[in-house]
Amino acid sequence: MPLSGLNNLFWAAGVLGHIALLIVLFVRRRAVRFPFFTALIFSNVLRSLILYLVRLYGSDRAYLVAYLLCEGVDILLQVSVVYEVAFNTLRPLGRWARDVRHSMFLLVGVSLLVASALTWMAAPDRPIWEFQLVIKAGFFSSTLMSELFLGMAVLSVTSGLPWRTHVARIAHGLGVYSLLDVAIETAKTALGAVQHQELQDALTYGRKAVYLVVLVYWIVTLWRDAPQPRELSEQVREQLRSIQARLAYDLFTLRNGRKP
Amino acid sequence: MTEQTTVFLIAVSLMFSILLTTGAVYLRRANKLSREGSLDALLARLVLVDRHKLAQIVADLEGASETEDFDEPYARHPAGDPLEPWQLWELAGGIEGLEAMAANCEVLIDLACYVQEWYPEALPVAEELRLNAREIQWHLGRLRGAQSRGHLQSAFPEYAQRAVATYYGMTQHVLALYEASGVPGWTRLQAAL
Repeated sequence: MPLSGLNNLFWAAGVLGHIALLIVLFVRRRAVRFPFFTALIFSNVLRSLILYLVRLYGSDRAYLVAYLLCEGVDILLQVSVVYEVAFNTLRPLGRWARDVRHSMFLLVGVSLLVASALTWMAAPDRPIWEFQLVIKAGFFSSTLMSELFLGMAVLSVTSGLPWRTHVARIAHGLGVYSLLDVAIETAKTALGAVQHQELQDALTYGRKAVYLVVLVYWIVTLWRDAPQPRELSEQVREQLRSIQARLAYDLFTLRNGRKP
Repeated sequence: MTEQTTVFLIAVSLMFSILLTTGAVYLRRANKLSREGSLDALLARLVLVDRHKLAQIVADLEGASETEDFDEPYARHPAGDPLEPWQLWELAGGIEGLEAMAANCEVLIDLACYVQEWYPEALPVAEELRLNAREIQWHLGRLRGAQSRGHLQSAFPEYAQRAVATYYGMTQHVLALYEASGVPGWTRLQAAL
């Protein structure tokens, strides 16, 4: 099946962008800290190559199967990246912040519910059920990601947790892209596949262009060093620990009227 | 456009509105924190609360605990008579005083986050403060409920004294954090609190 010139351009730019990002992740040693994100980027390179080859040499059916499989892997990896972002943001000292744990569970639950409900409501104008599945899977993943990333950003800001590091850049990129993707997929569903084919194509190219911008953002920000936190001396750290223990004890005594 | 598509569009628009509003609030708060990130700006947000009066309430509670007669709600303070409910009301400044303390809790958390920005080890302190702030809000909620039912007078001593003790502990916690970490401004902070 032949590909249009613009499609080829986006395909090539996407592959090059992903390879450049992979180089940044490995050269700057970010891959160790963000294994799931690195796996997501690597899977995108593989996905581009596999889909390109299947599209050139395979049948429509084979392409659809390959696309669905790649989409499934992509969704799983995106969910893993959400966990990775939460893992790095909400447990900066090696354990989950106590007071955000429940909020995080609530956020995941509500996001899943809303994304499932909206996906169920979506009625893509496609005659073949496999295509409907592809569109719905993409829509579900984008809705879930945009909700989770925005929710996490809000959670970390309201909790005063550090949000200026590389993990924030990854979350910003995925969050913004997912949000725009939801808008674009919604517009495509509303327009219908048959009546507005040119507009549909323009929206698809718009989505790809936004993703390329996000790729460049990641390449630049992940290349740069994150601001380094200062470290307390061991003596002060010990002092802080004892102050915390003493105040916790005092407060317990004051509030309960008995020794713990 | 089918009816199902219309419902879908309305639902997505609703979700978008909620997400964008939440995002805008988050950005506003993040900008506000970075704009007002100086210690002076944070201290300016503190509502004046007389810490000596609060210390009296806490001392009264400590005295009650030291008698080890925990079933007696107003156990005699070893250094004098226990505070009467009306005295508690006056010292705490009534519901308005507690509202001021609840508002100050936000500032106390931001003050801890101010230190945390440079020293991530300060995170447990901010975390503890957030839990304390929620507890104060809980006590305040109970008092508001009692006020609406006309039982404020009887409920005030029980909830207010614990809220004040928690708030007082929070202020001591923040002061200790600034003293230990060596972040400039401890004297100003002590004066403000």
